[in-house]
Amino acid sequence: MSAEVVAQALVSGVLIGFVFALIAAGLSLIFGVMDIVNFAHGEFLMLSMYLSYFLYTGLGWDPVAALPINAAALFVLGVAVYALLIRRVLKAPMLAQIFATFGLGVFLQNLAIWLWLPDFRTVGDTWLTGRVEVLGLFVSRPQLAAAVGAILTTGGLFWLLTRTEVGRALLATAEDRQAAALMGIDPDRMFALAWGLGAACVGVAGALLSTFYYIFPQVGVVFGLVAYVAVALGGFGSVAGAFVGGIIIGAVESLAGVFIAPAIKNVFVFAIYLVVVLVRPRGLFGKS
Amino acid sequence: MRRLTLVALLFTLLCGPGLARAAAAAEVVIGAVYPLSGNLAKTGLDIKDAIELAAELVNEDVDLAVPLGKGKGLPNLGGATIRVVFADHQSAPEKGLAEAERLISQEKVVALLGSYNSNVTATASQAAERLRIPFLNPESTSPLLTARGFRWFFRTTPTDDEFSENFFKFLNDMKTRGRPVSTVALLYENTLFGTDVSKFEKKYAQQYGYRIVADIAYDAKSTNLNSEIQRLKAARPDVLLQASYTNDAILSTKTMKEFDFRPQGILAMDAGHSSSEFLPAMGKDAEGILVREVWALDLGAKKPIIRQVNELFRKKTQQTRGQAIDMDGTSARAFVGMLVLADAINRAGSTDPEKIRAALEATNLPADQLIMPWAGVRFDPKTHQNALGNGIIVQIQEGTYRTVYPFDVAAAEVRWPLPAWGR
Amino acid sequence: MKRAPVIAVGAVLALLVLYPLVVRDPFRQHIVILVMLFGLLGTAWNLLGGFTGQVSLGHAVFFGTGAYTSTLLLQHLGLSPWLGMAAGAAAAVLLSVAIGWPCFRLSGHYFAIATIAVGEIVQILVTNWEFAGGAVGLFLPIGDEGLGALQFHTSKLPYYYVLLGLLVVAVALAAWLRRTRPGYYWRAIKEDQAAARSLGVPATRYKQLAMALSAALTACAGTFYAQYILFIDPGSVLPLSLSIQVCLVAVLGGAGTVAGPLVGAAVLIPLSEFTRAYLGGSGKALDLVVYGLLIMVIAAYEPGGLVGLARRLAAGRSARSARRGAARGA
Repeated sequence: MSAEVVAQALVSGVLIGFVFALIAAGLSLIFGVMDIVNFAHGEFLMLSMYLSYFLYTGLGWDPVAALPINAAALFVLGVAVYALLIRRVLKAPMLAQIFATFGLGVFLQNLAIWLWLPDFRTVGDTWLTGRVEVLGLFVSRPQLAAAVGAILTTGGLFWLLTRTEVGRALLATAEDRQAAALMGIDPDRMFALAWGLGAACVGVAGALLSTFYYIFPQVGVVFGLVAYVAVALGGFGSVAGAFVGGIIIGAVESLAGVFIAPAIKNVFVFAIYLVVVLVRPRGLFGKS
Repeated sequence: MRRLTLVALLFTLLCGPGLARAAAAAEVVIGAVYPLSGNLAKTGLDIKDAIELAAELVNEDVDLAVPLGKGKGLPNLGGATIRVVFADHQSAPEKGLAEAERLISQEKVVALLGSYNSNVTATASQAAERLRIPFLNPESTSPLLTARGFRWFFRTTPTDDEFSENFFKFLNDMKTRGRPVSTVALLYENTLFGTDVSKFEKKYAQQYGYRIVADIAYDAKSTNLNSEIQRLKAARPDVLLQASYTNDAILSTKTMKEFDFRPQGILAMDAGHSSSEFLPAMGKDAEGILVREVWALDLGAKKPIIRQVNELFRKKTQQTRGQAIDMDGTSARAFVGMLVLADAINRAGSTDPEKIRAALEATNLPADQLIMPWAGVRFDPKTHQNALGNGIIVQIQEGTYRTVYPFDVAAAEVRWPLPAWGR
Repeated sequence: MKRAPVIAVGAVLALLVLYPLVVRDPFRQHIVILVMLFGLLGTAWNLLGGFTGQVSLGHAVFFGTGAYTSTLLLQHLGLSPWLGMAAGAAAAVLLSVAIGWPCFRLSGHYFAIATIAVGEIVQILVTNWEFAGGAVGLFLPIGDEGLGALQFHTSKLPYYYVLLGLLVVAVALAAWLRRTRPGYYWRAIKEDQAAARSLGVPATRYKQLAMALSAALTACAGTFYAQYILFIDPGSVLPLSLSIQVCLVAVLGGAGTVAGPLVGAAVLIPLSEFTRAYLGGSGKALDLVVYGLLIMVIAAYEPGGLVGLARRLAAGRSARSARRGAARGA
C-alpha cells in the first residue's frame, strides 16, 4: 500500500487516540491519588454526552461552546460520587472497590435507558462539521477539534498538577497519605478533588465526542474499556502514561485495521497491552 | 381400582393442559419474547407496539381489511379476545430460552411470537419445540432457522438468502437500463446477521458475475470505523453492499463522509439503515442510499390499507411513548405475524396447540389482507417458511424512503449514481 | 467439623435433591439450574480469585473453551460429551498455563486487566473463526436423549441432577482444598505474596495450581451449558459480561469462603431472573437499575459479601445472648 494510505491511517488513528487519551487521563488521575479504578468512568462519559445533547437540542447551545458546563457538571458529579460512595470503600478490599464502581456503572447506564430510552441520538451539524484536506489527507474537523481539546485539557491538568499549590498537594497525597496529612493536607479533600478533576476531564471528552459520535446509554462501555487498557498500558496513576497509552491504542487500532483485518483490529490493541506489561509489569510509565 | 385411577390420572395428564386451555377461551393468551431492554430495546418497543396494535384490531370491531378486523375477537372461539404477554430476552440466547419456557409454563400461552435476533429465535423456538407450542417468527432472517425442520416453528418473513439475491437481480436490471456495474465491495458487522448476509452475497456475486474488490467484516462495538472506510476507499468499488445495525450504520455513514468515500451506489440490508433513528440522525447525508426492505410507507399509494394501519400505529406510539413513530419493516412484519397467528387460532377454533399448529400449516392469506408487498402467506409444508414473501428496494429520497424496486411496485424512479454529499 | 454446619449442608443438599420433584414448573426448575451453574462457576472462580487473591475478569475464556471443545468434538468426531467435557477441561488447563505463566508476574489491577485483554482477544478470534461457526455459533446436533449423550428433551430433571453432581464435587473439592496445604499456601499468597515467598511458599506454582483447577471446573460448566442450551455462540459463552457476572456472584456472596459463591448465586440469579420477568417487560430496564443499585450498596456497606454479613449478624446475636447470659448470671 502507498505511503499516503499509511499516513492517513496514522493520522486518523492518532486523532482518535487523543480522545482516548483524555478519557484515560481522568481515570488515571483518580487511580494515582487513591489506588481506585473507577469502573463507572465510561458512564460518566455517557452522562456528559447526554448533557451536550440536551443543551444542543433544548437551548441550541453548541457542544464546544457549552464545554465548561460539562466540565463543571461532571466535577460536581465526581465529588458527589466520592462523598456518597467511594469514601465508604476507601479501606475495603480491591474487589469491593471494583464492584462499588461497577455497580454504579450498571446503575447509571440503566437509569439512562429508563429516563431517556435506548434510542441513538446525534447532535446535528455544528460549526465544526466538515473536514479539511491537508496534503491529500482527510481530517475530520470535529475529530481535529476533539484532539486539540484533548491536548489542551491534558496539558492544563498537567500544569495544575505540577505548577500549582493544589496540584502539589494532590501529588503529595498520592505519594504518601500519612505524610501529606502531617503536612496539613486534608486527604479527604484531596480525594474529593481528584474525583472532581477526573470526572471533569471525562466531561470535556464527552462534550468533544458528542460532536461526531452517536449518543446512547451504552456508549460508555466501549470507551471505558479502551480507557482502562490505555491507563494500564501507560502505568496506573501516571497521567502522562495514560496520555501516551491512549495515543498508542488509537494508532495501533487504526494501522491494524488498515493493514491486517478490521474485524480483529482490537486483538492488536489488547495484545500490545499484554506485550508491554510482560516487559514492564507496571506499564510504560509505572513506578516499580 | 388402582388401574382405573392410573388411567384417570393418565387421562388428566394427557388432556389436562388442553382442557384447561380450552376452558379459558374467553381470553386467548399469546406470548411474545423480544429484546425490550439492552442495545436493541428501541426495536423491541416498536415491535411491542405493533403486536399490541394488531391484537387490538382483532379484539375491537374495526372497519379495516385486515384479517379478523371486522367483528369483535375471534368469531370461531365465541368472540374470545387476544391478550399478549411480553417477555424481555435482552438479546441473550439463554434468556430467550428461559423466557419462552416461563411464558409457556407459567403464563399458559397457547402460542409464541419472537424473537427478532436470529440467535435468540434459535433457542426460544427450541423451548417451544420441546414443550409443543407453536412458535411464529415474523422477523428473523437467518436461513438456518427454517433449515432445522422443526415441527412447531413457522416463519413469515423471507430470509437473507432471498434478500441477498434481490440485490444482484436489481444490479442486473440496472444494467439493462444503461447503468453497468462490475465491481462490488462488502461491508458488514461480524455477528450472525452480517456474516450470514455476506455469505449469500458472496455466493450470488459469483453466480451473477460481479467481482468482489473488498470484503470487510467489522466489529459493531468499534469506537471508530476509520480503517474500514479507508480500505473501502482504496478498493474503489462501483457499488457497496452493506449490512449494519443502527449504531454502526450511523457511524459508517459519518465516516464515509469524512473520508469522502462515494461509490456509484450503496445497497444496504434493512436493519440499521431502516431503523427509525437512522434518517433523523443522518439527515441529508443519507440521500440516495438504497435499502433492501420488506416494507415501505409509500407502498400505501397502491395499497391504502398500509396508510390506515400506519396512522393507527402513529396514534399508538404517541400514546405509549409520547412520540408518533412511523411503522418500519420490522414493526410491519411483527404486525403481520400477530395477525397470521390470530387467523390460525381462529381457524383452529380452539386453543389446543396441536390444532393451532395444523391451522398454521393450512394458512393461506391473500395479498390484499396484508400490509406487506408479498404475494400472500402460505407455509412450505416441510420447512414452514413462507413461500410467498419477497423483498423490495427503497431509496432515501428527500428524506423519506421511496420504493424503487421491483419496478412494477415502485413509487419512484431510481436515482443513480449517488448524489454528492449533502445534496 | 462441628455438628451445625454438617446439618446445614445436609439440609441444603436434601432441599436441592427434592426441589425439582416438588416444583414441576420448568421455568422454576430452570432458575435453580442457573443458580447451580453460577454456583459452580463462582466456586471455580473463587479458587483463584477468592482463595488466592488473583482477580480474574476473564473466566468466560475457560467457560467458552469447555463449551466449544466438547461441541466441536461432538460435531466432527461424534465424541461423547462426557469425554468432550474431559477434553474441554484439559484444554482449559493448558490455556490456564499459557495465560498464567506470563501473567502471574503482574499484580492487582494489571493482572485483572490482563485477564480482560485475554478474554477479549479470544472472543474476537472465535467470532472470526469460520471452523468454530464464527459469529453464527454452533447448533448442537439434536440426537436421542439419554445420560450417555447428555441430552434430554422431555424433562429437565436429568440436567438438574447432573449439574447438582458437578456442583457437589466442586464444592467438596473447594472445602477440602481449603483445609489442606494448597489452601494454606493460597491464603498466605493472598495476604502477602512477598512474605509467603520468603517463608518458602512456591507462589507461582501454587497460583498456577489454583488457576488450573479453576479453569478445569469452569470448562466442565461450559460443556454442561452447551449440552443444556444446545446452542452456543461467542456472544453467549465468551463475553466480558459473563466473566464479570461470575466474579460478581462470588464477591457478593463472600469471596474466599466456601459458601460465598453459592449464597451469591442463590441471591443474585433469582433476583435478576424475576426482576427481568416482572419489571423487564416494560422496556425500561428498571430491573437493571435495581440490580446496579444493589451491587453498589452491598459492595459499599458489606465488603465481606452476604456471608460476611450473616457472620456479623450471627456474631452480634451470640455476643448479645452472651451478654444477656452474663447479666442473668450476675
